[in-house]
Amino acid sequence: MYKAKKLISLFLVIGMAITMVAGCGSKDNAATSSVAATSSVVATSSVAAETTKALDPVELKWYVIGNGQPKDMDAVLGKVNEWLQPKINATLKLNVFTWGDDYEQKMGAKVASGEEYDIAFTANWALNYLQNAPKGAFVDLTPMLDQYAPKTKALLGDKVIKGASINGKLFAIPTNKEMAHNWGFLINKDMAAKYAIDVTTIKKFDDIEPYLKIIKEKEGANGVEPFQSVVGESAYRLLDFEKMVDDNVPGAIYGDGRDTKVVNDFDTPEAKALFTTLNKWSKAGYIRKDADTITDFSSNRKAGKVFSAMASLKPGKDAEESVSSGINWVQVDLTPARATTREMTGSMQAISTSSKNPERALMFLELFNTEPELCNIINYGIEGTHYKKINDTTIEITQAGKDGYAPGTQWMFGNQFNTYLYSTEDPKKWEKFKTYNDSSVASPIIGFTFDTESVKTKVAALTGIKKQFMPGLETGKADPAVALPKFTEKLKAAGLDEVIVEMQKQVDTFLATK
Amino acid sequence: MSRNDSLETMNSVSPFWNGLFNILFTIYSIVCIVPLLLVVGVSFSDEKSIITGGYNFIPKVFSLEAYKWVFKSGDTIVRAYGLSIMITIVGTLCSVAIISMFSYVISRKDFKYRNVFSFIVFFTMILNGGMVPWYMVYTNLLHINNTLLAYIVPSLVNAWYVMIMRTFFQTNVPDSIIESARIDGAGEFRTFLKIVMPLAKPGLATIALFQTLGFWNEWYLPLMLIEDSKLYNLQYILYKTLNAIQYLSQASNVSGGTAEILAKLPSETARMAMCVLAIGPIILAYPFFQKYFIKGLTVGAVKG
Repeated sequence: MYKAKKLISLFLVIGMAITMVAGCGSKDNAATSSVAATSSVVATSSVAAETTKALDPVELKWYVIGNGQPKDMDAVLGKVNEWLQPKINATLKLNVFTWGDDYEQKMGAKVASGEEYDIAFTANWALNYLQNAPKGAFVDLTPMLDQYAPKTKALLGDKVIKGASINGKLFAIPTNKEMAHNWGFLINKDMAAKYAIDVTTIKKFDDIEPYLKIIKEKEGANGVEPFQSVVGESAYRLLDFEKMVDDNVPGAIYGDGRDTKVVNDFDTPEAKALFTTLNKWSKAGYIRKDADTITDFSSNRKAGKVFSAMASLKPGKDAEESVSSGINWVQVDLTPARATTREMTGSMQAISTSSKNPERALMFLELFNTEPELCNIINYGIEGTHYKKINDTTIEITQAGKDGYAPGTQWMFGNQFNTYLYSTEDPKKWEKFKTYNDSSVASPIIGFTFDTESVKTKVAALTGIKKQFMPGLETGKADPAVALPKFTEKLKAAGLDEVIVEMQKQVDTFLATK
Repeated sequence: MSRNDSLETMNSVSPFWNGLFNILFTIYSIVCIVPLLLVVGVSFSDEKSIITGGYNFIPKVFSLEAYKWVFKSGDTIVRAYGLSIMITIVGTLCSVAIISMFSYVISRKDFKYRNVFSFIVFFTMILNGGMVPWYMVYTNLLHINNTLLAYIVPSLVNAWYVMIMRTFFQTNVPDSIIESARIDGAGEFRTFLKIVMPLAKPGLATIALFQTLGFWNEWYLPLMLIEDSKLYNLQYILYKTLNAIQYLSQASNVSGGTAEILAKLPSETARMAMCVLAIGPIILAYPFFQKYFIKGLTVGAVKG
């Protein structure tokens, strides 16, 4: 009897183990079969795409990052589906998760477990595109574009598609928005006016110094920071190095594209000069003394206690900031517009490999990018309820809109050039964006992403050292004459040179195959 | 009389140590309570005065705006509050029932497979499958993601509490009592409910308190398993709000205007008001359970 029971329990355990293994196995099968299905559909469905009647009804599950699910989402989706269903016989289920951990954890679990969904927001800063796409989380859209999204392909253009591709394969559709960046000052307009500061005289970084002196003398007692340079959000970014990995890892090429030589950007003459200036400013009290312990830049800006700060700019950035922070800003552009992989992969929608209907998802994204009506419903909600039209291109958000549906993240959704403008915005915004994009110079290594795999532990060590020294240097607290040699020495001891060599090797290979 | 006095002096610590302990614990209590008071103070402050003047224990400008915002923000927070309370009550009752039944069974010496079952529980304390298999069990196998069960089922049994209860049954419920119940004709369930459970009250109260706190403070399960915003509990809403604010105020690479997005999130005072509300009911749970703790200590002491 005892033996029999023991045997039964053994069988049960084995049975459970087998079902678990089988469960994992079938997942793999499903993944491969869906890929197979995709390719066969691509081959055969050129006819099906034309006649929407032939399409089976599907529901597209779409996850994005944002302020969480808006209250009126169901009503808005109702409107979207009313529009969408007759066109591609699909209904949309959009779910907005919250910034940071919420989105990362939820999507991380979905990707890892192979849970079925169709579209997800991805970028170099959320559900990391550069890591997840090569892992096989997203469908390779390159072979599908011509058939299902030809207009989107034309709209984005070669530069963007190349920039957003990984090894020549496009795994997500970038949002069509400003596709370049430049650096410069954001200056408190009211404070500048009060002390008769003419911001147009500021042409380069050092030009602002005399004004900082004025502010320090007149407003220092009120706790105003003449120049804000805190950890991470610091003046260092002005140098506009094109980083190989991220801000934490040394190794970059010069942002102006003069060559493709990888250098330790922290130890360049430019960096040293900047650190020296910052150190001087810190000593003079233009930068707050505890800046090297501070990462929150926004609360003091909102409180009107910042005269100037370094910011990533685009046309109309000052107006955007003024509306949101309640402080009037004026922007001073210091560096020219540059297009790098960072902008191309800054906001995109990917189709999951676990999706049963990847081609339908792409058809939806095509409509999303090309049909202003659809794009505007998702961005602003229902006309008359969530916003009022002022004229054909301008709207005003109503109170119901603010309470019930206001994602406020137009840069995330579809084609920005098709969306309405707020009445407070420059009516020429989109034209300015276009000129800005066209004027931008593409980086010589656009589309390149560094594969850290072979130097992973060294990269981690370098990151640790950067976090130890950089806060002092970038906030002017540390004297570069003392700190910088130590910093470089430590980096070298942690294997900096080998990492740089590896970076150079990968850059050269990339350039050779281009 | 005099005997009692001498006993008291024998058991009491010397005035010096007594004083020292009192001072130490007073300081410790203050350290614990002061931040709470600050949170309460900030929650009643005016938002503008916080930005310009910093935090204050006594609000410089008194305002109920934060609480108004919390209740005005529609049914979201009120619903989450109700859900939290419901989950805590249902979850605690279910899990205490399951844990006590399971641990009672494996505490009985006349149960043949108690070692096997103890091992099965004990095993999970050393090894677990990791996050992804865990997630797949609840989503692909049990399909309880996006339901209220997702809050309750994963925390129903806790191996550690099973061990505590097993030991408690073994040491505090003598075999002879169970035997005598059987001689008097009680079945297994009656023995368990009428004889064993009342004796185990202090132990039950301990794990019930732990489980109550656990269910009330749960934010990880909704983070992983709940997508529908109507099913969020209070702690999770708090968690994701604070997390998002921290993330956005430091993230320089979020493409759009982060300041604009930040402006839409609850203000400093509103967050504090949410905290105060979250502390609310759970603080009431303590006195209720405390009664049993003290009893539990004395019961053990008298027998010697």
